[in-house]
Amino acid sequence: MASEVVEVEGHIIDSLILAKILDVILDSGADYRLLDFDIGRTNTDSSRARFEVTTDDEDLLATLVAELHIHGANRVATGDAVTVAADTDGVLPEGFYSTTNLATEVRLDGRWGPVANPEMDCGLVVRPGGLVRTIPMHRVRTGDAIVVGNDGVRVRPMSRPRGPSPFEFMNSDVSSEKPKELLVAQVADRMRLARAAGGRILAVCGPALVHTGAAPDLARLVREGWIDVLFAGNGFATHDIESHVMGTSLGVPVVNALPLEGAHSNHLRVINEVRRRGSIANAVADGFIPGGVMYECVRLGIPFVLAGSVRDDGPLPDVITDVVEAADAMRELVPGVAVALMLASTLHAIATGNILPAGVETFCVDINQAVVTKLADRGSHQALGIVTDVGLFVRSLADHLVPAP
Amino acid sequence: MCPPVHFGVLYEINPWMHREVRVDADKTREQWDGLVANLRAAGAEIEVLDPQPDLPDLVFTANAGTVNHDVFVPSRFRHPERQGEVAHDVAWFENAGYRIEHLPDDVSHEGAGDTLPFGGVFVSGYRYRSEAGAHGPLSRLIGAPVRPIELVDPRCYHLDLTFCPLDDRRALVAPHFWDSYARKVVEALVPEPFALHDEEVLAFCANSVVVGTTIVMPTCPPRVGRQLEAWGFDVVVSPVEEFQKGGGACRCLTLALDVAVGSGGGGRAPSSPPPSTDGGAAR
Repeated sequence: MASEVVEVEGHIIDSLILAKILDVILDSGADYRLLDFDIGRTNTDSSRARFEVTTDDEDLLATLVAELHIHGANRVATGDAVTVAADTDGVLPEGFYSTTNLATEVRLDGRWGPVANPEMDCGLVVRPGGLVRTIPMHRVRTGDAIVVGNDGVRVRPMSRPRGPSPFEFMNSDVSSEKPKELLVAQVADRMRLARAAGGRILAVCGPALVHTGAAPDLARLVREGWIDVLFAGNGFATHDIESHVMGTSLGVPVVNALPLEGAHSNHLRVINEVRRRGSIANAVADGFIPGGVMYECVRLGIPFVLAGSVRDDGPLPDVITDVVEAADAMRELVPGVAVALMLASTLHAIATGNILPAGVETFCVDINQAVVTKLADRGSHQALGIVTDVGLFVRSLADHLVPAP
Repeated sequence: MCPPVHFGVLYEINPWMHREVRVDADKTREQWDGLVANLRAAGAEIEVLDPQPDLPDLVFTANAGTVNHDVFVPSRFRHPERQGEVAHDVAWFENAGYRIEHLPDDVSHEGAGDTLPFGGVFVSGYRYRSEAGAHGPLSRLIGAPVRPIELVDPRCYHLDLTFCPLDDRRALVAPHFWDSYARKVVEALVPEPFALHDEEVLAFCANSVVVGTTIVMPTCPPRVGRQLEAWGFDVVVSPVEEFQKGGGACRCLTLALDVAVGSGGGGRAPSSPPPSTDGGAAR
């Protein structure tokens, strides 16, 4: 996708110039979005319209912009981005450009170049040599050249996914009234496509995955290579381990769900034993953890980040309790991710959504409509909320991707 | 008006110009003097701009700039061949007491040749010589609305070859030489248009000068003449074929000084005659 902002002024209404310009845009197959429109109060006042023209490719855009120029609509002059050196560690200069999660370009020395890692709610830092990256506030160091103002910065609108896609199928962002089996099949297709294109698949997991009995199915997906990165918290990892060590999840047997005497402390005993061994990897190595999602991750070297929270028991030794450090660890693993599965996780899913570029196809699965809506509204342009039981969803997804032998 | 002392087809910047075509100097002067006499007879006063060597098209004073009330906005010529005219035009208007206002230097606009007043607005042609982007700034400088009209035939590269306002209701129009939007704009603006046939347009019929109820035309086919007479106009034919070799006729050889549309930029020019009509007719 390519876009330019153009502006036309004068007696553009009575002269039908505006109508003509908009017709020219649409006739060429391009699209426009009106940004500003000042209409003169009387017929002697001039009017002014500013709109963004979007085309599928740069060549068409260049031709169109030239044609629009003939009718008096001019490209809005854009200068280079302006940078200011940060004067304090961890503080962006006043007036910093605040990022979106869309693909972004910055103009330096008269040339537009891409921002290396789109992420919302960050600043933009220009590195020596002209590489531009997003930078979270806390990572700013004194002297960093930070982009200020909006000049010389433009975002590329998302192109719609091509080919059959659950996003088109849905027409709306949340799916409580859609056939789930069809959705699962389409999610599986998107994962296959992403994988075929060399993209990575991220799973963000909440503890309900284990409670609902879906952990073995997720472990099956990990084992068969369908998950490349895993984000979770202390709870998910603990109950995943508990269910394999003790057969319970938060004290409830995952097999028959009959309460067991004294099992409420099972997860604490598991955490304690893992802490004794220093890490989940050590606990896998010495046989304490005999299976499960974390076990498969360790065994196959799948990178994971366990981010801590204030209510965690223990926590497990692998949990990163400094949340800023945890978010940075997650950022390290985001590049290359093409599909994100948010599985019955609210906080970790939102945290992940905040650091993903808009182009990542994100599927938020939760039994709670409100959670799904909240996740789908986080600004990811390709987020699809699926309201269903995560246990059934993951089992069905695993059956699609890893057919029983 | 500017006497044709140095007129000739020395370059080719419109489809009418062919350098191999010779211009007859005597005939040229004779036709120009005839036009002056016809305009005077109709009641016009003529101001004269000194001719300049190497500026053959200075005779086409319609392109000097846009006049409204006491404001003169000099043209920004598209072709370098004519850009040398501007300094002479500006000097004349400065001397005559006009306020000179300049268009931005990145847009071209060729003055009254592309800008004709009608019904309280200016209609302004664009595509071949003037740029649509000039209309906003022009409107601000002359203090009057400007409605752009897209020209679609390079043979009629200026608006004044396709549009001739006659009074506050009537005009000769050449809709085939405009795009569909422009046709609608003129249709809405002109209560009684008379549409010229293509061959009439290409005979420069629309490039006529209106002085009161007299229309001084380079040629007048009977069909057009009957209509004009029915409307109560007197038609005077003033042949200017030598100038048509350069792509202009009667109107192109004149620049109306008595234009007064809207509030304009303020008072009148000290030495310019009092504004009479919106018609932009030469006096």
